Amino acid sequence: MRDVMLSGRLATRGGGAVRNAVHLLALVFLLLAIAFGVIAWAAGDTFYLRLATEALIFAGLAMSVDILLGYTGLLSLGQALYFGLGAYTSAVVLRDIGPSFWLAMGMTLVLATLAGTLGGFIANRVKGVYFALITFGLAQVVAKVVYNTRELGASDGLIGVPEITIPLGLFTVEAANPAAFFLFVLAFVLLLYAGIAYLMDTPFGRTLTAIRANDRRVPFLGSNPLVYRMLAYVLAANVAALTGALYPMLRGFVSPELMFFHTSGNAVITVIVGGVGTLIGPILGSVLLTALRSVVGTWTEHHLIVIGVLFMLSVILLPKGLIGAIRPWLQHRLTGSETPR
Amino acid sequence: MTKKTSALAAALLLTSAGTALAADPIRIGVVTPLSGTYAPIGQQVRWGLELAAKQVNDKGGIAGRPVELLFEDEEANPAVAVQKAEKLFQVAKVDFLTGTVNSGSTLAVGQVAERNDRLLATTVSFADSITTDKCSPNVFRVNARAGQQSAALAEWLNKEKPKSKVFFLGPDYEMGRSTVAAFKQAATDKGASDAGEVFAPLDSKDYTQYFGQLRASRPAVIYTSVAGNDTVRLLTQLEEYGLLRNLTVVGASGTVTSQNIGAIGKAAEGFVTGVGYSPEIGTPENKAFVDAFRAAYKTDPDLYGADSFGLIHFYKAAVEKAGTTATAALRDAMRGIQWQTPQGTKTMRGGDHQAVQEMYAVQVTDGKFRIVGTVPGEAAIGQDLCTKF
Amino acid sequence: MPEFLDYFQFVLAPQMLNGLSLGVAVILMALGLTIIFGLLDVINMAHGEFYAIGAFLALSVGALGFDFWVMLAVVPLMMVPIGWLTEQVLIQRVFHSRERHILTLLLTFGFGMVLEDVLKLVYGPNTQKPPTPIGGGTEILGIFLPNYRLFLIVFGAALILAVWLVVFRSRLGAMVRAAAWDKDMASSLGVPVRLVYSGTFAFGVALAGLSGVLLAPIYSVFPTMGRDFILMAFTVVIVGGMGSIQGAVVAGVLLTQVQAISSLYISPVWSDPLVFGIMVMVLMVRPQGLFGKLGNA
Repeated sequence: MRDVMLSGRLATRGGGAVRNAVHLLALVFLLLAIAFGVIAWAAGDTFYLRLATEALIFAGLAMSVDILLGYTGLLSLGQALYFGLGAYTSAVVLRDIGPSFWLAMGMTLVLATLAGTLGGFIANRVKGVYFALITFGLAQVVAKVVYNTRELGASDGLIGVPEITIPLGLFTVEAANPAAFFLFVLAFVLLLYAGIAYLMDTPFGRTLTAIRANDRRVPFLGSNPLVYRMLAYVLAANVAALTGALYPMLRGFVSPELMFFHTSGNAVITVIVGGVGTLIGPILGSVLLTALRSVVGTWTEHHLIVIGVLFMLSVILLPKGLIGAIRPWLQHRLTGSETPR
Repeated sequence: MTKKTSALAAALLLTSAGTALAADPIRIGVVTPLSGTYAPIGQQVRWGLELAAKQVNDKGGIAGRPVELLFEDEEANPAVAVQKAEKLFQVAKVDFLTGTVNSGSTLAVGQVAERNDRLLATTVSFADSITTDKCSPNVFRVNARAGQQSAALAEWLNKEKPKSKVFFLGPDYEMGRSTVAAFKQAATDKGASDAGEVFAPLDSKDYTQYFGQLRASRPAVIYTSVAGNDTVRLLTQLEEYGLLRNLTVVGASGTVTSQNIGAIGKAAEGFVTGVGYSPEIGTPENKAFVDAFRAAYKTDPDLYGADSFGLIHFYKAAVEKAGTTATAALRDAMRGIQWQTPQGTKTMRGGDHQAVQEMYAVQVTDGKFRIVGTVPGEAAIGQDLCTKF
Repeated sequence: MPEFLDYFQFVLAPQMLNGLSLGVAVILMALGLTIIFGLLDVINMAHGEFYAIGAFLALSVGALGFDFWVMLAVVPLMMVPIGWLTEQVLIQRVFHSRERHILTLLLTFGFGMVLEDVLKLVYGPNTQKPPTPIGGGTEILGIFLPNYRLFLIVFGAALILAVWLVVFRSRLGAMVRAAAWDKDMASSLGVPVRLVYSGTFAFGVALAGLSGVLLAPIYSVFPTMGRDFILMAFTVVIVGGMGSIQGAVVAGVLLTQVQAISSLYISPVWSDPLVFGIMVMVLMVRPQGLFGKLGNA
């Protein structure tokens, strides 16, 4: 609901129909997702609700890739590092310290900020294709270390994460209740979306976009591009880690696969298919790809062919992704039917 | 979204159609590796279960209901196993789950079973932790664990190669560490010395980089607990590098079995293991089982095939004793139950859900698994270390 | 002293020679990657899958009854049209975009994913082990090594030398280097730049396929085989310098020796993070790697 207000405010601030179109999509998505949750709950389903919850969690990872790629022009091939960091932090806190949602999220925030600062310091020494390679390398080192560390369950992963109760002031959410946890994660991811969308519309966000367009000119405007790139990197690390922290609450289990290149690569695919630089695109992309995998998976194991081809077509034909493809049409509808501002 | 809801509707339709059938089958989910390095193990699990299910169904099923098996590929990967188990419990609504091979998968799927209030039995996993410190009220084990296997093997080692220097090479996960620790304990207790250990990731293609530490320690005996296709690569590479000369190779139950011995070839000759089964066991029950297995699949059963075959009889005995498939009553019935297997009668210990059975030392001679030693079940089982229930 | 000699003969030397046989194979992979990057500025994420295709084609050729030597000659030739087509149909689509680096990386990443699944579809998911073409072992100065590993070291080194001669000593190589240095200048001097691009890409792909044939008897053949190996090849290319042939050779030998020798003293599973850690350090200190790019050196 806050999202609607926010989109209204953003629209009046200057984006006009362009942003309106994106925020309208977010609203439609929210309504459809709630409808899905209610139907699935009424049907007594567990499996598909949990699958949809997982899709939303991975949507957070994809958004984090989009912050870097879509707004700063930096391709991260290792964003799963922070997603996995959040998942493992949350799993260890919940299992060994105490089943407290806020403690797990707080610890994740602290560790992700530290790791993001360190990682950003290393990765931001280089740009372009070298940035992609160094993020890839960093994630690979950390994933291998986790894979070999027995205290973290090594290749078996960590089991025994308790099912928690999330206190939210007026009411509580049981993570074990599929419908309730789905709605909670939906709200969490859309609030993150709204927060980032708002941030990207402030002078901070506009400077990032300027860096993306031409980072040699930005110093003349009085800003140090490195500081901005660092901030964007740490922000992206936190977005990935905080959504990653929800994963063990859903599955009760974390494994090193969460940090592998496979996970980072999937997030990049999600962003490209959904739409780079739109934030809502990655969310829709994640849900769409999860649904596609599930549907294709019922008649063949070979869903990678379908997704790979879809991804390649997106790179070649739809450089702005699905959202980019439908946005002009939506925009046209919006400006055509509404009174001009 | 619409695609997803339609898939959901289809799934719901499917399950409601399932429950509407007159002769309601008992559905047993099987999450087992059908691809990857443990595919040969999954194949034996599948054959053992299918043979038993067919025989049971031909004689009227379990309490008048036919058994239906639903297979999913675990890929020997806990993360995949968890997803497949959730799907079987929540979408296919299976009554019971089995098949997990990787010990990490068994532990992780055990937690899924707890949360879905269903029971699970492994017929393969060795790691002691499954029925000791990480035991679960919803998990049973019908096969012999690492500690039981070590008892028989350590006794053979002490008799044939006393006070040997032993080097340990295990797969780098729960099962590998558990089997190495169990055998190291059992062997050093009897006077063998520890020459060092290395762990290689599951599904390693090249073991040669691990040979450096093996050479440096100059052992007389190497103990390994790799399994499936990993053993094929490890033993053939050891042979290529001329390291099998003057080296006795011993290992875990599943390291060399009927299923992979053909691919290993002569490098398997002389291998010794502590195991709960050999096709050479001379009882009439086992002869009948081996004959039926050969007739159906043109190959010998191994311990996995035999234990998976026995599992159906374990489940049948428990359901008929409890008179229901409901979780709580079935769990009570399983505790302390005795049932018939190709190896003879097994007993399920109630305190830790671990099967008690006779253990053998088995040596590969001319491609056959010859029994060279026996340890009675009670001597091999060890203490009940489960404190969770 | 004899104690040390014994340790050298029985422990250290076999480990290092074993590392060298792996190093030679990694260098063959890395050469394809680095030449493609040096000339086309394309990071070929599907390189590991081309390596896998080479290994599977070898299986198919073997199934027709031909022996190993035929595979060695035929498979690289079969890889050439595959590489050529990939360059024409995929790389050229986005080659003239401003974000060529990123787009070609993404495109080849997607293509690799599709190829891997196609291999799974055609050949099934399970591992297949071709027979070792040269059995037995040889003892040299008290060091025992399997014959096939020795063959791999000698044959691989000869191939690397041949590639070096083609690039640096032949007319063809001069064209490639000219195109890498300045494609407009080269074009005005009559170098068929388009042809050189496609040809170089196909050459790199053929090298990957050839490594697949050579390594199949050691590592077995399975659809995801490219994944493990490409990591090491990338590491070598990054440390050596993207686009540098000398760099790939030097880094290939160095890193595989680090792996082999460290495996004697630490758990070998930790040698991977060690090598990847070296890569990250090199990227931090010298992003361009140890050596410069093709055409610049």
